[in-house]
Amino acid sequence: MVHAGDAWVGRFRAMANPCEVLVDADDEADAAAPIAIARAEAERIEAKFSRYRSDSVVGRIHAAGGRPVEVDEETAQLLDYASELHRLSEGRFDITSGVLRRAWTFDGGSRVPSEADLAAVLPLVGWTKATWRERTLTLPPGMEIDLGGIGKEYAVDRAAALARAASDRAVLVNFGGDLFASGLRKGDRPWTVGVDDPESPGGAPLLALEIGRGGLATSGNARRFVRAGGRRLGHILDPTTGWPVEGAPRSVTVLAASCLEAGTYATLASLRGAGAGAFLEAEGVRHWIF
Amino acid sequence: MRLQLNEPAAPIKSRLRAAVCVLLATGLPGVARAEGSTQLDSSVLLYGERDRADVVEPTVRVTRTRANGQSISVGLVYDVITGASPTGALPSGQVQTTTSASGQVTTVPAGAIPTTTFQDKRYALDGEVRLPLTSLLASTFAAHYSSEKDYSSLGASTKLSYDLDQRRITVTAGAAFDRDDVFPVGGTPLGLTDGSGALDSDSQPKHIASGLLGVARVVSRRWLLSLTGTRAREDGYLTEPYKVVSTVDATSGETVGQLTENRPDERTRNSVLAGSVTAIGADVLHVSYRYYWDDWSLESHTADLMYRHDVSDHSWIQPHLRWYAQNPASFYTTGLAAGAPLPAFASSDYRLGPLRTMTVGMSFGFRVAASAGEWTIRPEYIRQSLASSRAHEEEEDGPPEPGDDGLTQSAVAASAPAVELPPLDILSLVVAYSRHF
Repeated sequence: MVHAGDAWVGRFRAMANPCEVLVDADDEADAAAPIAIARAEAERIEAKFSRYRSDSVVGRIHAAGGRPVEVDEETAQLLDYASELHRLSEGRFDITSGVLRRAWTFDGGSRVPSEADLAAVLPLVGWTKATWRERTLTLPPGMEIDLGGIGKEYAVDRAAALARAASDRAVLVNFGGDLFASGLRKGDRPWTVGVDDPESPGGAPLLALEIGRGGLATSGNARRFVRAGGRRLGHILDPTTGWPVEGAPRSVTVLAASCLEAGTYATLASLRGAGAGAFLEAEGVRHWIF
Repeated sequence: MRLQLNEPAAPIKSRLRAAVCVLLATGLPGVARAEGSTQLDSSVLLYGERDRADVVEPTVRVTRTRANGQSISVGLVYDVITGASPTGALPSGQVQTTTSASGQVTTVPAGAIPTTTFQDKRYALDGEVRLPLTSLLASTFAAHYSSEKDYSSLGASTKLSYDLDQRRITVTAGAAFDRDDVFPVGGTPLGLTDGSGALDSDSQPKHIASGLLGVARVVSRRWLLSLTGTRAREDGYLTEPYKVVSTVDATSGETVGQLTENRPDERTRNSVLAGSVTAIGADVLHVSYRYYWDDWSLESHTADLMYRHDVSDHSWIQPHLRWYAQNPASFYTTGLAAGAPLPAFASSDYRLGPLRTMTVGMSFGFRVAASAGEWTIRPEYIRQSLASSRAHEEEEDGPPEPGDDGLTQSAVAASAPAVELPPLDILSLVVAYSRHF
């Protein structure tokens, strides 16, 4: 834990990302509990939903080989949410689309999968092929789910709520750039959050936002792309074609009431490609597109 | 005109926000419990009516919840009631005496409200099993048995609840059946007699079948609304065997005697309860209103208000206000005219009268240590009164006549004394302790 600026900051790695918890406290002792609680929640959610762990819920679903798997309440809530997003996005948001990454390598190079490569994985994509009824999920053999698209934002909101419940200090939870601020700091001062330049992350921020209470999330990663036929294709994949979404912005940042809502909007906007800005305008959501 | 095919998609904001709220609202702030847990709840109720009944009631309940949501709960209640209960007879200018079927004789000083003294012990045992059938459908089965000197009750109930619309709406339907037996000490008195005769059978059965239908809706992350309707059908011996009705001399207004009360042997009861739970910051406001009506023409309104405020991480307070008002049953009467033809039914039981109740209470909850169980202390002051009987009589002026349902509408003698029963002050205190294992 370090004292950065005028807040205490706890830093750790979770969910394959650098994480920070900021507590608006003068004393280190007041900051210790909320930071420890937020970190424990991040680690709990990572352990429970990681697709890299065979003992996670997701690992158990993948190991079922086509048999139905009954899941607990929290997982059911997340799957319900993912299912609703699938409907709201007319199939663009799909937690079964992760297997497409087997065909694509977004390393800035020009390797594009062949039709045969895509034909091998596309049959394994499509939430409608899964049977999600009440608390039981049945995935056809070979299909996988990836809750990464919502899990990090969910973890931010939960960690922030738990940290806030354990302390009367304002807290800001930032997991890999998706964040939630619990409220104004002492003296009614907002938190200041920088939005990175997608071309040079870690460099000078493109803009600074002041947030009292709210969630902020960014979709896009300028370094994960592939060149094909003179075009630069981002890593946002359309599950219906197996190809990257055309014209997706390099970076979409959304401010909303919760980190989950902000992250969902940012993801859904990216999936609309060139239509991202129009979509967010129509939704009346505060956003910054680069 | 051309059909426009490429209309822009309707904004998804409201549906998305609702989905976000459901996901983030459930399970917060606690971390989902991975394994099963056992909860112990215990309490002692001390209840005292000034110059009337005192109740001491210890309870204990153990609930075991499994990780899959199944739970089983067993509760035991024991209570001791001692004191006096109004017989229904009017205060009198003369010394009055009450005799019970058991041969007990009570002498009442002039002007005092006749009461019957008693001491009773009751125990009750109940069990409940909750079985989630699917993640959206849950069923509950429960049974209870209670027994005291002159009353026993055996019942079973079942309830199904189903979650809809991303769990924003829960619909609950339930049914319950009870079989009660009343066996008054010394036999069951015949209704509207001097109490000397008794019915053939010592034990009088009573059946209750009831149904429930409820809807609860998560309006927002901070607001829950619920609406519950119930309907119950009772038949059998519904009379209170120890309650009496005074007979009053029509000219002098003096109480000249008393008769056992008599009630219809069927009753259909209905209620509608609307409730709201709102989170205001870290505080919680509960508001509810209940409307009750039955085919004895009894009708009541209950308004209830509770506000919970966390004082610290380990303590909270919850002030509580309740207001209750009821219109009397059609055959409720303060007294019958002596010598006049008897109505089919009559009762002077204050619980069927124009009862008003005001409750003011405060709960304090605290934990001695973060890991220890929670203590709750709840003192309440209750003031019970009967609305002016004069007003009641004016409403029901005129000669007694049979109503549509065959019940005699009012047997109140126009000349019955205007009774001013003093309000009853009640103090109650609950000390409870709960903890998880």
